[in-house]
Amino acid sequence: MRQRSGSLLPGVLVAAPVFVGVVYTLGAAVGIWGAGAGGAPDFTRLARVARSEVVVEGALWSLWVGIITTLVSALIAAGLALIFRTSDRLGRWGRTLAVLPLPVPHLVGAVAALLILGQSGFLARIAFALGWIGGPADMTVLVYDRAGIGMITALLWKEVPFLFLVASSVLSTRGEALEATARRLGAGRWETLRRITWPTLWRGMLPACVAVFTFVVGSWEVAALLAPSDPLALPLLTFERYVDSDLSRRPDAFVLALLGTAIAAAAVAAHECAIRWSRAR
Amino acid sequence: MTAPATPGATPADGRTTGHIRRERTRAVILTGLAIWAVLPLALLLLVSLSGGWRFPTLLGVDPGLGSWPDLAGGSLVRATLTSLGLGVATGVSAAVMGLVIGRGLARTAGWRRVAGAMLSFLPVAVPPIVLGVGLQFSFLSLGLGGTFVGVWLAHLVPATGYATLYFMGVFTAWNFGIEEAARRLGATRVQTIRRVVVPLLRRPLAEAALLGFLVSWAQVPLTLVLGQGRIRSLTVEVLTLVEAGQDGLAAAGSILLVVPPILLMGVAVWGVREAEVVVA
Repeated sequence: MRQRSGSLLPGVLVAAPVFVGVVYTLGAAVGIWGAGAGGAPDFTRLARVARSEVVVEGALWSLWVGIITTLVSALIAAGLALIFRTSDRLGRWGRTLAVLPLPVPHLVGAVAALLILGQSGFLARIAFALGWIGGPADMTVLVYDRAGIGMITALLWKEVPFLFLVASSVLSTRGEALEATARRLGAGRWETLRRITWPTLWRGMLPACVAVFTFVVGSWEVAALLAPSDPLALPLLTFERYVDSDLSRRPDAFVLALLGTAIAAAAVAAHECAIRWSRAR
Repeated sequence: MTAPATPGATPADGRTTGHIRRERTRAVILTGLAIWAVLPLALLLLVSLSGGWRFPTLLGVDPGLGSWPDLAGGSLVRATLTSLGLGVATGVSAAVMGLVIGRGLARTAGWRRVAGAMLSFLPVAVPPIVLGVGLQFSFLSLGLGGTFVGVWLAHLVPATGYATLYFMGVFTAWNFGIEEAARRLGATRVQTIRRVVVPLLRRPLAEAALLGFLVSWAQVPLTLVLGQGRIRSLTVEVLTLVEAGQDGLAAAGSILLVVPPILLMGVAVWGVREAEVVVA
């Protein structure tokens, strides 16, 4: 039994460090304090950095990787959850293998992706052994590439298990009863999948997909190992400006940090809306 | 027993041609899934044992166990101990803080509950590099920059967010009537918490501590920015080795990164199965 409406103070305590960081970031971004600060607010740096080509390209590239990773990992996870939902041996092994990468740190996934997809990686060595390439220089570029293939692949390896867990939970808690009802009413296998299972699945997975998108866009270590230098992913651009030897460029990092915070805040709002919408259906 | 030639016809074992075809497809997909899940980890192990892994060597294990002897007394061992210390400290403190905060938020309703959930999600959603950039000045002012305590406190921010969200879920399904019954039977507030609430929360506390440990164990940007190069966690050490082109040592470090999380997850799953056996 829940008691009377309590206080928001606990929630404020959890978010307090973020607010402290945002206040300092905001002040440093507009020149109130920090390196090169004049003391009075100056919004020209904000406008200049936000409009600069390298920032726009970097932000768009990060969003591209976020969208593709989220969509593809959601589709794969949903497919695996549907294929391996049975209680037979194949189903049990499938569920175990699908979540195996879950506890592995993202950095490890990125290192493994580098060893597999790199110019002199595992795939390149197989291609050399088969006579398809003459050396590492002939290998197709799969890491540090503008399409982000290497980074997306590494992120898929980590995000599919998480979304698989969510999809499996949705199917077992909400899907089975609805599917059984549809079958009793005469719906065929494909009609049940199209009109009952799939809508239940994607609505139940939506909040988790928002969380995955948010994480991927802000991921630093995977981008550090696998992303190209042009365009430079938003987290890498933030770090690069923050440690720039030219002190006058360091405040740019705070503008980029504000941009990252705005994306995160929008994601939090979207996550909450997704939860409420999926529960209402 | 072979399948009948006519599609849809039922052979003696009851399986249709379509069923057999589906099972074979599932088996093929399972094989692909096994390669997808295991190959990266297997390759890391092989590279760490290879003693060089120069192109075009495909697979090769050095009898001297490759990079593993180089670990003894080296930076990777020190970094592992640092990460273990940070992980345990973060896990325990995040679990306790998450319990208190999550319990408080779970007892709210209406717009306060929505706002509380969003506030708890914010430290989880904000990119760690952004958090690090925003907090460094405060940490430097407090003398925490480049210290173990500073990095621990930085890790605590997202870890507490995760733990809070977890305990909000736990206490949403919680029966507060148990505590009220204890109070009516004469137990003080402290006695109720110590003898009723905490024993019931042993497993959630352990799971929340595990969650906090994993958040800290895998953390890179917060350690880099707030550790200022002085606090060398295992993740920072592996990143440095990769950037220096030392693939063998980086692979060994990656295996070290994988072992504790998989062990802890195994313990957690075993704990769940034991609890199910007891209940059954």
